[in-house]
Amino acid sequence: MPKCIIDGREAEFKAGENLVEVAKTVGVEIPVFCYHPGLSVVAQCRMCAVEVEKMGKLQTACSTPATEGMVVHTQSEKVKKNQKGVMEFLLINHPLDCPICDKAGECDLQDNSYKYGDAYMRYTEERRTYLDLDMGPVIKKNMNRCIHCTRCIRFGAEVAGVREMVAVQRGNNTEITTVDGRALETDYAGNYADICPTGSLTLKDFRFKKRAWYLKKTSTVCEGCSRGCNIELHQENNVIHRTLPRENQQINKWWICDEGRFNFRYVNASDRVSTPHALRVESDWTSAIETARTAVAGKKVALLVGTDLTQEELALVQQFGAKSFPGAMIAHFGTSGVKNSSDDADADALLKRKSKTANLHGAEKLGIPAFESLPAGVNAVVVIRGGRAVLPSLGGVTASVGIGVFAGSQAAGFEVVLPGLSFAEKEGTVVNSAGVEQKFKRAIGPVGKSKSLSEILMMWNFQGTSPHASQNQKVTAAAGGV
Amino acid sequence: MAKILSQKFYDEMNKLEPRYPNKVALMLPALHAAQDETHWLSSEVLEEIAAYIGCHPAQVREVASFYTMYNLKPVGKHHIKVCTNVSCALRGAEEIVGHCEKRLGIKCGGTTLDRKFTLHEEECLGACGTAPAMMLDNDYHENLTIESVDRLLNELEAK
Amino acid sequence: MNIMHPDGGGGVATENLFAQHFKNDEARFIDYYLNKMGGYTALKKAFGMSQDDIINEMKKSNLRGRGGAGFPTGVKWGFIPKQSAKPKYLVCNADESEPGTFKDRDIMRYTPHLLIEGMVIGGFAIGAHHGYIYIRGEYTREAKLLNEAIDEAYAKGYLGKNILGTGFDFDLTVHRGAGAYICGEETALLNSLEGKRGEPRVKPPFPAQSGAFAGPTIVNNVETLAVVPFIVNRGGDWFSGLGKIERSGGTRLISVSGHVKKPGVYEINAGSMTIREIIYDLCGGVLGDKKLKAVIPGGSSAPVLTADEIDVVYDIDPLMKIGSMMGSAALMVVSEDYCVVKLLGRITKFYAHESCGQCTPCREGCKWMEDVIERIEHGHGREQDLALLLDIADNINGKTLCALGDAAAGPVMSFVKKFKSDFEAHIRGGKCPNV
Repeated sequence: MPKCIIDGREAEFKAGENLVEVAKTVGVEIPVFCYHPGLSVVAQCRMCAVEVEKMGKLQTACSTPATEGMVVHTQSEKVKKNQKGVMEFLLINHPLDCPICDKAGECDLQDNSYKYGDAYMRYTEERRTYLDLDMGPVIKKNMNRCIHCTRCIRFGAEVAGVREMVAVQRGNNTEITTVDGRALETDYAGNYADICPTGSLTLKDFRFKKRAWYLKKTSTVCEGCSRGCNIELHQENNVIHRTLPRENQQINKWWICDEGRFNFRYVNASDRVSTPHALRVESDWTSAIETARTAVAGKKVALLVGTDLTQEELALVQQFGAKSFPGAMIAHFGTSGVKNSSDDADADALLKRKSKTANLHGAEKLGIPAFESLPAGVNAVVVIRGGRAVLPSLGGVTASVGIGVFAGSQAAGFEVVLPGLSFAEKEGTVVNSAGVEQKFKRAIGPVGKSKSLSEILMMWNFQGTSPHASQNQKVTAAAGGV
Repeated sequence: MAKILSQKFYDEMNKLEPRYPNKVALMLPALHAAQDETHWLSSEVLEEIAAYIGCHPAQVREVASFYTMYNLKPVGKHHIKVCTNVSCALRGAEEIVGHCEKRLGIKCGGTTLDRKFTLHEEECLGACGTAPAMMLDNDYHENLTIESVDRLLNELEAK
Repeated sequence: MNIMHPDGGGGVATENLFAQHFKNDEARFIDYYLNKMGGYTALKKAFGMSQDDIINEMKKSNLRGRGGAGFPTGVKWGFIPKQSAKPKYLVCNADESEPGTFKDRDIMRYTPHLLIEGMVIGGFAIGAHHGYIYIRGEYTREAKLLNEAIDEAYAKGYLGKNILGTGFDFDLTVHRGAGAYICGEETALLNSLEGKRGEPRVKPPFPAQSGAFAGPTIVNNVETLAVVPFIVNRGGDWFSGLGKIERSGGTRLISVSGHVKKPGVYEINAGSMTIREIIYDLCGGVLGDKKLKAVIPGGSSAPVLTADEIDVVYDIDPLMKIGSMMGSAALMVVSEDYCVVKLLGRITKFYAHESCGQCTPCREGCKWMEDVIERIEHGHGREQDLALLLDIADNINGKTLCALGDAAAGPVMSFVKKFKSDFEAHIRGGKCPNV
């Protein structure tokens, strides 16, 4: 493999790799703003300029591919002066908003200013300001904070496929905006806030909710569809405050759709049923389980399982059914119109899939058939799901027991509701539409009095011997993450 | 949506199309041709151009707002642009601008109340040898003096 | 023969190529071009040459780009690959927006067929079948005259399909800009041609590899292309010999303006005159016979010269040696009648206004410099402002995505250093010492 030298360290590289990436491999950090590995290179911010021997001017590392024998210096006086210069230029118009800005603590401008800038300000002229137009329900724009890196423009045009975020005017007056106060059209608007290196584009949903440094992060997998994008759930005190995408070059690169990003809201929602209910009245676990057993005793039962359950949970239900209701139908439900994996397909040009649950393909792998209709004579149904699978229509047959996550309005349809865990409260395995098995961790403990499926079924007098994992076994990390 | 631009506009664009490998390259010619008709480029006109080219309306706006010759706000019937760059400044452009402001009763960037004149300072027009110079709508007027400016304004005001 | 117009402009080269036709409203028609200028004979000759032959003549001619960069044209044409999957393009940069420059305007309104013929020959030499003339939007009349000349050329078969029966096709289209100095930068020009914002591109790739519509492209100045017929007809060596110094061939059109008695476009042998001779012998001296204060030798981007520095030969290399540049060959003369602080303020305001806004140093730094100089000009300067200006300029110079940053920093550094006392007088006295 070809080699170059960065700050005296020998670095191997692949043909075409730029110096920012090559430097990382030998532990050298070159600061950037406009550069993002998932977007085209524009070399505009000039922050990454480094000295390359035999080339007179400083060269932007993001746009300079490494060549055999290239000698690079990232710590020279010239490089440092330029870094200070760029930081000074970026800060002359940037408002001192840190105390009230959501981005504080995870802000590239703060970090690079601290590491590469100067501690004093020479600017005494008037600062440039803009009026902000609304951009719709997802993103809050604060143009005064913008450093014109154009990552958002490039994301819209190159990744989201819609040229809605543009620069208008020119020079010092350049404004980045949607036009005429239009709302952002893309289903991937949340990513604008992820890639913005300042607090210029932030999530309205997260605004003023929590300082970033209080949040604990867990790597897990999105349950929004069968793509299985890798995500992080950020929580404090058992409340999830936001979802961020996690890089996985095979599945979702750096991105996530808005549906997946905001899916977590139901986990801590106030209308979630997190205590057992018997005959629509709040109850305790023992009574509720007893009521449930009575409700199905002597009846012809069908077990319907959501494709938002993990492989471990689905296997448990199979064993439970075989033991407690031999011969009963076990069928899966999830997304109306998408019964089998053959019905599943891309729903857009980027990440979204038609199946709106994470484990349709896993359920099929376990041999569970899709739910079509209830067999003749069935007069009791037990519905087991996570929080996403769309409840099927039962054609008038009583919904006897509901195990899983339900909103109040949904719970009213069941005789007994035994509150289960959402994807954020459990660990397990799901199989995405590409057949990739991904294990994920739990981010928070059970909400309210909710219990895991294995615990619920055990209380129903069943000891599970799941081949995948018991509730006590530590689960390894989901693919691609920490 | 009802079309604002005339058939003449579309005919002119159709004639130009074969000269370029794609329609986006017609952006600047289209903006010029549209402004020739409508005098300034409203959001509706920009949307119509976007529909013709087949691009997002934001794309038309980002291009139109980059160039100084495209008026994205209404301008007066006559647009006066006096060059105040180096050579014109050296040859008395500031007096010319000051005189126009006094005569028209507006400051640079403004429009007269009867909407007849809009006055702007302009960058180098490439008429440095015949400075001071200005653009009046599409025409150059060079070797300006207070008197020649007055004659020109008299003519325009009389119409 | 010398040509001197009473109101300014003329030609004093040993052999004028343009001057005898300028200011003649008949010269632009194809009949004049064919009958009085030997029009389109070079094209016929070129069709009998190979592409390499033509490019070799261009190299021998020592023709250096007349737009401002001064890059050897023959070498540039040699960069175009012989084979290309994408169509190749020849683009004429007629954006002429460098303050002080007005020579291409005369070429386009008086001798447009020189440009047209030069482009067909150029297209043939590099294998391009499409040419665009990107003309600044303000030159409305010149664009109209160009289009009329192009129509004439099509009608007589010098443009279009199967030109002169050779099987070579070449289409020429005039494409108007819309008011952006930055579109004179070749990659910004190409973006503008493609219907986008006129923002310069990251280089590499260079236009010869990927230019207009991703195809191999050569971008040349108007004057550069307009002398091509002469080079083909008379040979590269002849053209090189017209230049009086090393590595600079041909005649040059210089635009002289400002405080001179006879401003205008003058044609001289390259490297044949000093700045002093141009001002005092060619242009009649300083306006009002005032004392000379400063000379901006190459458009406003060129570092300023004091009255003591005008004995330099007016050409590319000599000016570079003394730390300035010939640029677009636009000489602006400043007498003691105008405040240099105010002048620098106006120049810096221009660059701040024309900055495209992409890269940090230019977008933020040019405006900052404009504001500081304005403060100094109006008597609110502080002692540290001069060091501040020089440091801002240093943080811009050589650090930007394109040369506009350098063009803004150069004047600031040169004016502040060479006219330090004028700036200090504003800061300490609170007003201009001249006025």
